[in-house]
Amino acid sequence: MNAVEIKNLSKSFGSKQAVRGLDMTVPMGAIYGFIGENGSGKSTTEKMICGLIPKSSGSIRLYGKDNTDANVRAKLGVLIESPGCFPELSVWDNMMLQAENLSLPDAKKQVISILKTVRMEGAASNKYKNCSLGMKQRVGIAMALLGNPYLLVLDEPLNGLDADGMRIMREVFTDIVKDGNRSIIVSSHLLGELQKVATHYGIIRHGRMIREMTAQELDASCRTYTALQAKDMSRAKLLLNSKYSRVEVDEAGYIRVYDPVPPEAVVTYLYENGVIVTEIMTEKIGLEEYYIDLMKGGN
Amino acid sequence: MTQELRFRTPRFSERLRGMLGVDFYRLFHTPMFYIFLTIAAIIPAMVSAMTTMPDQNGNTMEPLYSNVWQIIAASEPLYVINTIADYANMNMVFIFGGIMVSIFIGHDYKSGYVKQLFTTHAKKQDYMMSKSIVCAFAMVCMCITYFIGGTVGGMLAGYSMEVNVVSLVLAVMGKMIMSLGWASLYTFLNIVFRRYFGISIASSFFFGTGILIIGVAAVVESLPLPTTFLNLFLYGSSVNACLTSDAGTLITCVLVSVVWAVFYNLLGTLILNKSDVY
Repeated sequence: MNAVEIKNLSKSFGSKQAVRGLDMTVPMGAIYGFIGENGSGKSTTEKMICGLIPKSSGSIRLYGKDNTDANVRAKLGVLIESPGCFPELSVWDNMMLQAENLSLPDAKKQVISILKTVRMEGAASNKYKNCSLGMKQRVGIAMALLGNPYLLVLDEPLNGLDADGMRIMREVFTDIVKDGNRSIIVSSHLLGELQKVATHYGIIRHGRMIREMTAQELDASCRTYTALQAKDMSRAKLLLNSKYSRVEVDEAGYIRVYDPVPPEAVVTYLYENGVIVTEIMTEKIGLEEYYIDLMKGGN
Repeated sequence: MTQELRFRTPRFSERLRGMLGVDFYRLFHTPMFYIFLTIAAIIPAMVSAMTTMPDQNGNTMEPLYSNVWQIIAASEPLYVINTIADYANMNMVFIFGGIMVSIFIGHDYKSGYVKQLFTTHAKKQDYMMSKSIVCAFAMVCMCITYFIGGTVGGMLAGYSMEVNVVSLVLAVMGKMIMSLGWASLYTFLNIVFRRYFGISIASSFFFGTGILIIGVAAVVESLPLPTTFLNLFLYGSSVNACLTSDAGTLITCVLVSVVWAVFYNLLGTLILNKSDVY
């Protein structure tokens, strides 16, 4: 049984079709990185999973039951767009109200524990409106964690978090899925961060799922490239550009050669043309580059 | 290691109790509620006092009321109003209540609380019921402060206190009971116009003033129709709860309030089920 199984899902807003025949499978215990450009249909799909907007056609099954089933819905934790908090109330009060809505028997204990998990125990008495963006995101995730959900649907949960906040969230996510039953769907534009935790990926474009794969499959399909530094960088780039089809300079100032050639061949070629290579390494492209390649139509 | 997944259907009573708990907490923790309670008390006191105030030449205007209790309810059912005095009674609470409901529900949508709510086991029908009950309670509280304000204001203005106590009690109870019907109507209107806060408030005000029923009453008066049929409507029934009320008036108020509450709750639930949550 999968945590989420979507078949041929479509959603139209008037004449605009936001999601077209989407299929999606999130296995139990997965951290599912849901990736796509702005307006690709990610949020619409997530909202349909959570029952916030009705689907036009297709089926959504959560843990083998229809997504409208109240049993399943009680075990859903959601953060979409913004946490549903009342700005004038404190973080603690907002959490307790949500706990009351969920009819949690041990509300106080759970709220204390979750606030500790997201490192917000010291800010529980702060009014929600006075919280920073990062703190609000943590509160949103804390709200989603209430009630011990089996499935978490988080839309851009890493936005506004500092480096420490992101690390904490990675730990929280990993901890949640470790029992093998709970699953998380995370959509984020911070692909580097997503790659550190995701076990599965789904890439959506124009409302269609264009690829679904595991982290291992991503790793296997990511090409290697050669990154180097030379004494004369501009000449080196000129020479490499004339010989290889794809040469780029990265943010760290390394020249990257994406063509499938051994690094020795690159060094030899540059040496023969009077350029000394000072540093060279081979690396695999990350999720971000893979995604960009995929969007450009290559791989 | 995997653990067994347990899914449990939350009972209706559990769901409603949780939601009511949240709504009542919010109601008591928002200054808006106390502001409206104060407004409900001040307005009748002001109306009474102003009508007996002397002008620049020391002349006082002709009193709008002859009796303190006319500030609470009209002497007899007046579906078509002639003076402000016919209008200015406890029915004004339903206008304040309408605005309060709009703000209350508007916050639900603005804060994203509704999204948070509807992704859990909460059902749309629970939401409609919880809002209707809590807002009806708020309006009943306003009726009480209105009663206190109106009575004190009327006494200070020196109006007569003579009254048929049974009819007065039945009239006040009738208006309080009508709060449920009104609260359901406002909840429904705010669900319909949930994306447009301004229109929500305007529509609540429009219906709260009973403009439509006043218009209908004008037509009915010119036709050979019994005016009692106006009691089937919220405003009509609220007007019917006057200083000549009897047990029949109270029963009418209970029936009308419950029927409209059920009707608006069902309609609101249907709309919520068919539409997107923003």
